[in-house]
Amino acid sequence: MTSSIVFDHLSFSYQNTTAPALQDVTGEMTRGSFTMVMGHSGAGKSTLCCATNGLVPRFLRGDYAGRVMAEGMEAGKNSVPDMARTVGIVLQDFEAQLFSTNVELEMAFGLENQCLPRTAMEERINTYLQVVGLEELLRRDTATLSGGQKQRLAIGSVLAMETPVLVMDEPTTDIDPEGRRHILSLIRRLRTRERTLIVTDLDAEAAVQADQIWLLKEGHLAARGTPAEILTDSSLVESCGIRPLATVALFQAMNWPGQPLTVEAAAAEIENRRLLCPHHPECRSISAIAPGKVILETRNLSYRYLAGATNALNNIDLTINEGDFVAMLGQNGSGKTTLAKHFNGLLKPTAGDMLVRGRPVNHYRRHELAREVGYVFQNPDHQIFAPTVREEVAFGPRILGMDRKTLEGNIAEALDATGLSGFEDSNPFLLNRGERQRVAVASILAVKPAVIILDEPTTGLDYVHQRDTMEMLKRLNQLGHTIIVITHAMWIAEAYARRSILMKEGRILLDGPTSTVFSDEAMLAAASLAPSDLVRLRNRLGLAAMTLTDMVKELRSEAVPPGSF
Amino acid sequence: MNLTFYHDEATWLHRLDPRTKIGGVLLIFVICLCFNHPLFIAVILAGVLTIFTTAKSMKVLWKLRFLLVLLFVFSVVLWPFFIKGKTILFQWHGLEVSRESLLYGFAMGLRLITFVSTGLLLLATTKNEEITNGLIRLGIPYPVAFALATAIRLAPTFADAGATIVQAQVSRGLDLDSKNVFSRFKRFAPLSIPIFISAMRYTNFLAMALESKGFRPDAPRTSYYEPQITGRDLLVLGLLTLTLAACLYLRLSLHWGIIIPGRL
Repeated sequence: MTSSIVFDHLSFSYQNTTAPALQDVTGEMTRGSFTMVMGHSGAGKSTLCCATNGLVPRFLRGDYAGRVMAEGMEAGKNSVPDMARTVGIVLQDFEAQLFSTNVELEMAFGLENQCLPRTAMEERINTYLQVVGLEELLRRDTATLSGGQKQRLAIGSVLAMETPVLVMDEPTTDIDPEGRRHILSLIRRLRTRERTLIVTDLDAEAAVQADQIWLLKEGHLAARGTPAEILTDSSLVESCGIRPLATVALFQAMNWPGQPLTVEAAAAEIENRRLLCPHHPECRSISAIAPGKVILETRNLSYRYLAGATNALNNIDLTINEGDFVAMLGQNGSGKTTLAKHFNGLLKPTAGDMLVRGRPVNHYRRHELAREVGYVFQNPDHQIFAPTVREEVAFGPRILGMDRKTLEGNIAEALDATGLSGFEDSNPFLLNRGERQRVAVASILAVKPAVIILDEPTTGLDYVHQRDTMEMLKRLNQLGHTIIVITHAMWIAEAYARRSILMKEGRILLDGPTSTVFSDEAMLAAASLAPSDLVRLRNRLGLAAMTLTDMVKELRSEAVPPGSF
Repeated sequence: MNLTFYHDEATWLHRLDPRTKIGGVLLIFVICLCFNHPLFIAVILAGVLTIFTTAKSMKVLWKLRFLLVLLFVFSVVLWPFFIKGKTILFQWHGLEVSRESLLYGFAMGLRLITFVSTGLLLLATTKNEEITNGLIRLGIPYPVAFALATAIRLAPTFADAGATIVQAQVSRGLDLDSKNVFSRFKRFAPLSIPIFISAMRYTNFLAMALESKGFRPDAPRTSYYEPQITGRDLLVLGLLTLTLAACLYLRLSLHWGIIIPGRL
């Protein structure tokens, strides 16, 4: 087999940093193979991607040693536009890549650079829009596409250039589950062609279909092998900041033979080997905790962004109690964020009422409301502005007129809760994404609002940081804060939220204890969602537990009636 | 606020060659400069608005109604103090406002509105790529044309980011309605710094994406849309040139449409 990409002792550190981003990476990818590059955030995945077409070191500068060959061209020696004939790359931030007025022009951009005549461009555009499934949207304004469609357009526009190598840096990050499904199935179809495919992802479930997995850890190539070799080693995977496959982890924890990579394989294994006696799921009980006072209430709330447009929210009746931990789930555009922005008065209902502690939200003054309901936006870079973490966190309480002593105390508590003690004098802009996310949470926390809303708090974080963030929220919840999390990550809702609200097209589809909501796979499918592998297996086995640890406990104590969980 | 002005339609104006539209905009600008009597400029504005309706683009003007009203009011209020006329309406401590200067203010207000509307007409009916293409074919160097088109393209993106940043900071208690000058100054940093930083990140990223797709500003490239000059384009340019000639004749030979002589 001919090699398509060769990394030859590649090391790189970015300018003005001390820690190297890549250290002595050596390896080959054969032509037509599909390699999944995985690792914790900051492991060097993006750097590796950018090294294949020379963005590293020609655009992103730093100390570069070793070399990268892509189809016989040396990446560091040729300019990026020259490398573009060989390597097509879909960068991480798909929003920023789309540049043109409409879909067909976006597809045409790379082809224009290749100086293709118009008829040839037309042919390629038609071919590849069909491949990515956007042929109906030829003349659509790119800004009006959904996240998943934008990502598929970004992929299609690179595909159309027909490069022998295609690199995709985290193509499923920040995309709702349905969009993610589309992209994963697209990747499956792409690999049948004569094309070397490199994809980075944080999720082991996406890596099952690859030929090879490269595991990066702090810039080193920690391991490489087939999915069956790599993914079955849960401790190795976890040590690289990746959530291990639920099926493998469960079988290991139970000391069951076999290492199934998918839910279907796991269920078949359990049935064939009779690992479990038949289970009776009917006596499943939900650990109901006494609900606190009602803190947020919507009454027949509807909202429309523009007069004449369709409603973004329709007749929402909802109460949220003090001390609750709520997950809001649904596709992009289902109305989760729009509803959540009513909770702290950022949006005013077109019809109906929004009450905070029984008082209409427009009877509050801005700073009173900020003390009741805090809202952490998805992208921490949309709020960070101060030169030090301390000043950033102090901004909220200070502007709300908190006295000096309370302020100092609150800041210390907020930094402690978010694990940022010791970072007081750091420049927030120089922290990594996970840390910046925590700064954003701390800056809301320092105000000590009764309710904290977090919009996609785990986007762009690896498993370890996701878990840290969620454990922090769990602690805050135990301290009495009401937590509302808007998320696309199902396992987060499953493992942490007591209550889940499922939304679709501006309406609440299902609202109840998380374990009940996630048992109703048909309803989830109606909202274009599906439980994680672990919970899908749980539903098949008829168990009550929502996390791996609980599941192992439940399975081990078959003698104990399941009702006691 | 959404700053995307282009609206995909198939009117005669959308189908014109971008060169014709750019040239047409310049001709209308010059026509506007022929007179300084409000009535005459009002007629030109009415003409531009008629074109707007036939191009199904009135909603773009509606989007910017506040800006247009503001420009008009400023002009009407400020101009009279800088221009002297014969018929004094009132005097106060050396400041005087005359009938002519007031009318001149009206005229300038209408002219500003006409300028802005004409520009918007171009943006509302011409794709960004077409503007770039038109500018290049008119002999503007590629990097300049590309930079201009990019600026137009990025304005709505940055406005969106700005709106999100405002919401994020308001959620933390930032009071945007406060009248206090000191607090107004203080709220500048929490808004401007994130906007600046996100704009920097965005443009840097965009540059990476463009280069990765083989783009270089100095290299030849083909164009997917290749607009052609047709009879319709020549007709439009001809009509506008005739109008300009007529206006010049009215102003220079017949001295029509002048409220203050010797000024544009």
